[in-house]
Amino acid sequence: MSVILIGLSLGMLLFLLAAGLTLVFGLLGVVNFAHGSLYMLGAYVALQLVAWTGSFWLALLLAPLAVGLVGGLLERLTLRRLYGRDPAYQLLITFGYILVIEEFIRMVWGVNFRSINPPSPLAGTTELFGSTVTDYRLFIIGFGLLLSLALFFVVERTRIGIVVRAASANSAMVSCLGIDVGKVRTGVFVAGAMLAAISGVVAAPLLPLKLGMSFTIIIDCFIVVVIGGLGNIRGAILGAMLIGMMRAVGQQFAADWIFLLTYGLLIATLIFRPEGLFNVRGRTA
Amino acid sequence: MNRSIVGSALVAAAFFGPGAAFAQPAPEAFVIGGVVPLSGAYALLGTSMQKGVDLAIEQRGKVLSNLFRAVTEDTETKPQTSVQKANKLLAGGVSMLFGDGASGQTLAIMPVADQRKVPLLVTTSAADQITGANRNRYTFRTSNLVFMETRIAAEYVKKAGLKSVYVVAVDQPVGRDAWTTMKGILSTMGVAVAGEDFAAIGSQDYSVIIDKIAKSGTQGVFVITTGADTITFLKQAGQVKLGSKVKIFGTGFLDDDAAMAVGPDVVGVKTVARYHFSYDTPANKRFVEAYRKKYNEWPNAYAGHAYDGINWFLDVVEKTGSWNPETWVTAFENSSYPASLFGPKQMRACDHQALGVGLWAEAAAGQAPQPPLLLKVTDTFPAAGLYPDCPKT
Amino acid sequence: MKRVLFLVLALAIVPLLVKDRGSLYFMTLIMIWCIFALGYDLVFGVTGMLSFGHAAFFGIGSYVFALVVGKNAALFLLGVVAAAVAGGAAALLMAAIALRLSGIYFSLMTLAIAELFYFAASSPLRTLTGGEDGITGVPRPAFFGVSFYDDASFYLLVLVFFALALAGSALLRRSPFGQALNGVRVNEVRADQLGFDVKALKLAVFGISGAFGGVAGALLASLMQFVNPQGLHWSTSGDVVIMSLLGGIGTLFGPLIGVAVFETLKETISSRTVHWYGILGVIFIVVTMFMPRGLHGAFERARLRFARETWR
Repeated sequence: MSVILIGLSLGMLLFLLAAGLTLVFGLLGVVNFAHGSLYMLGAYVALQLVAWTGSFWLALLLAPLAVGLVGGLLERLTLRRLYGRDPAYQLLITFGYILVIEEFIRMVWGVNFRSINPPSPLAGTTELFGSTVTDYRLFIIGFGLLLSLALFFVVERTRIGIVVRAASANSAMVSCLGIDVGKVRTGVFVAGAMLAAISGVVAAPLLPLKLGMSFTIIIDCFIVVVIGGLGNIRGAILGAMLIGMMRAVGQQFAADWIFLLTYGLLIATLIFRPEGLFNVRGRTA
Repeated sequence: MNRSIVGSALVAAAFFGPGAAFAQPAPEAFVIGGVVPLSGAYALLGTSMQKGVDLAIEQRGKVLSNLFRAVTEDTETKPQTSVQKANKLLAGGVSMLFGDGASGQTLAIMPVADQRKVPLLVTTSAADQITGANRNRYTFRTSNLVFMETRIAAEYVKKAGLKSVYVVAVDQPVGRDAWTTMKGILSTMGVAVAGEDFAAIGSQDYSVIIDKIAKSGTQGVFVITTGADTITFLKQAGQVKLGSKVKIFGTGFLDDDAAMAVGPDVVGVKTVARYHFSYDTPANKRFVEAYRKKYNEWPNAYAGHAYDGINWFLDVVEKTGSWNPETWVTAFENSSYPASLFGPKQMRACDHQALGVGLWAEAAAGQAPQPPLLLKVTDTFPAAGLYPDCPKT
Repeated sequence: MKRVLFLVLALAIVPLLVKDRGSLYFMTLIMIWCIFALGYDLVFGVTGMLSFGHAAFFGIGSYVFALVVGKNAALFLLGVVAAAVAGGAAALLMAAIALRLSGIYFSLMTLAIAELFYFAASSPLRTLTGGEDGITGVPRPAFFGVSFYDDASFYLLVLVFFALALAGSALLRRSPFGQALNGVRVNEVRADQLGFDVKALKLAVFGISGAFGGVAGALLASLMQFVNPQGLHWSTSGDVVIMSLLGGIGTLFGPLIGVAVFETLKETISSRTVHWYGILGVIFIVVTMFMPRGLHGAFERARLRFARETWR
């Protein structure tokens, strides 16, 4: 039973990260390899904020804003020029972002491992179904659910969401209707960056902060996004849950097979349902 | 015709560019070629090693009456880059090689040193093969190896009277080797193996494994992880208070830096200490003082072993009074080093492994000016019985 | 073709002028990566398929070479041929699966398959490949009574392969096959309507590209005398994409410039400062924004402008 809870929390962490990536992927058609770096930046900024203010919650609020600003600047100043061109160039530039962000973090925070602790109300544990589970993990599950509901609501039900979805489907038409498509694009990228940062802040109490933490999760993140379907929030949640569960159950019973199963699922998805396992309509970026 | 010449000249120029990028050092200067990771996952190792060597150079001033220096290349924690940089340094003419960080990287450059007949000093990598199956004439190690550290941990198991042990290790050759050795020792002591779990390196989440450990009823858990995985495991184990139910211990997986990163939950975890600044020998006291003065921080194991190993080797070189590497090799393999930070050390000619004491420590709270969390050395094991027998050939 | 000849001749004189073993080693490394990049450009620049999995062929080439040759330096040529065949076969396999998809999904699939190879070499096939620690002691060649152990002679041997790869790539681009591939890149639907078997063309070029990669991998294994899973890693695939884009895709010399500049930058900057990674990042961003045709394209533009002005 505890395996299920752990799987859920793993899945939620993955979802938090994948949500931003799938939004940017689906709505802008941009493959943001630097998404993991923004996640890492979020964690380090939170580290600094906690050091200055002692409050995890404040960090959770402010770090995403800071990283969102960074994302917005990057998009506005550099990425914007490349929208008309071959997507390969966008890749190259996001790779450049990775190097620059990583070096920036190294310069400011150094090479040592750093750490944040979960905020005091969540530092305890609960006995559930015969296992000890940390309260913080339960928080992750709850927070992830809330966030996913909020995202879902915004994208599917609000005017902003409609505009964004329309712009991704037919940007020329949308701009004819008087909406500044450039601003919409920047906005989506900023939202993606903020989501990445939130994910970083939430994950930080569980993991050591180190250079290169961006690389360790990015592949998993891509797998979730592909399995869930590009641009599909609902798919991202279900995909993340699936992968999270697979990892947890796999680690419990068949650790050697986790990698093969995960990649096998990815390849199978790409072959048989490339639009994503959970996509009802055949949406492509 | 014009186009062709200009075009190919441009491309050729791009090719010649690299040639110009190489500078030749002055001959008859003693040059230490450092191949250490300065970026990537093990950046902390490499930068610390470099600090130790730099301090040694500063204190010495001269070797064989000539000024000497270190040229350090970043191996990016990738074995391929290590080989490339080692070759580059050798081609540039270094007197000795020093490094690398991760065992895989060191194993990759050992054949290079062997072929070019240049001494390679290893002060960090712990894989048994470096002085075991893969040993060669030019490679020397002055630091710990996995076999020895495993024996120390086994001594602890005996002392603590543990009846069952669970193992958690990263899926790496070094980890699997260590466990194989330990399993053998445990069976001779009649200790049961409560379970085995191998995690992919860089795992984000050990909670499933930790849960299994808690449920297995084991008395101890033997942790074979490195770097970030250690911190992840201990942090997550601490959050569910695993340490209160099970004795957590490992070989050289925990040091002051990692303890700080884990947080207060690390108190009580036991480990082999590869080095500690608090170890009480006159040489160590002097070293720590000088290091703190220069860098304003406490030296870690990588810096300590680097400083120690380099000084030992250079002492030997000075005594030979010769510029011939073969002479250095022969002298080094039969040498002893009474002035080591760890108390007297002895180099073994049969496998080029240095013999010294083993330190066992426990994570505890510290008082200023020491860091708030650090290792406290609790036991010192003499060298006898810790090292593998000399190989038959 | 004349340009190719000039370049090869220029490179052949190098060992006479440069005695520094380190530089020769480095230039040999560059030539090996050039072979890899030449093969990659056939797929990416000429045919327009963005593959993120090319490291698979490079790495497989290294491993197959090391396993075939063992410690026997005389088996060098056999090893290289085996590596080329293995690389080509792996490429055909990857293409057969990935070509069921298009666009970004194709690229992701190539990445996923390459990752499987990487994982296989690191873990389950550990006894064969040496796992993370890899295989050490791969010999330099020694056949027909000549030893190529010395850096200068190995350089010349690799130069031969480089010349063959360059000439082969040039001929291929000019051939009807190459023109057809160009057509596929420019307008796949039209090419199909004109009667070309697009699928077969893509498979074929992918296989050839894989063979190039395999040869490069074999030569690298012999240069470094060491093989490990790094060659199969996605960052290696990323590196060759970056080098190609940097130099200018779709042209014969573009990738070569890209490789040379990338490796030189890495070497020179990393020796001077620890912050080289960040500087490299800034360079990428600038190049991507202002030089979409890569360095080769920038040279061409400058040359054209110069030519136009001097015509007055």
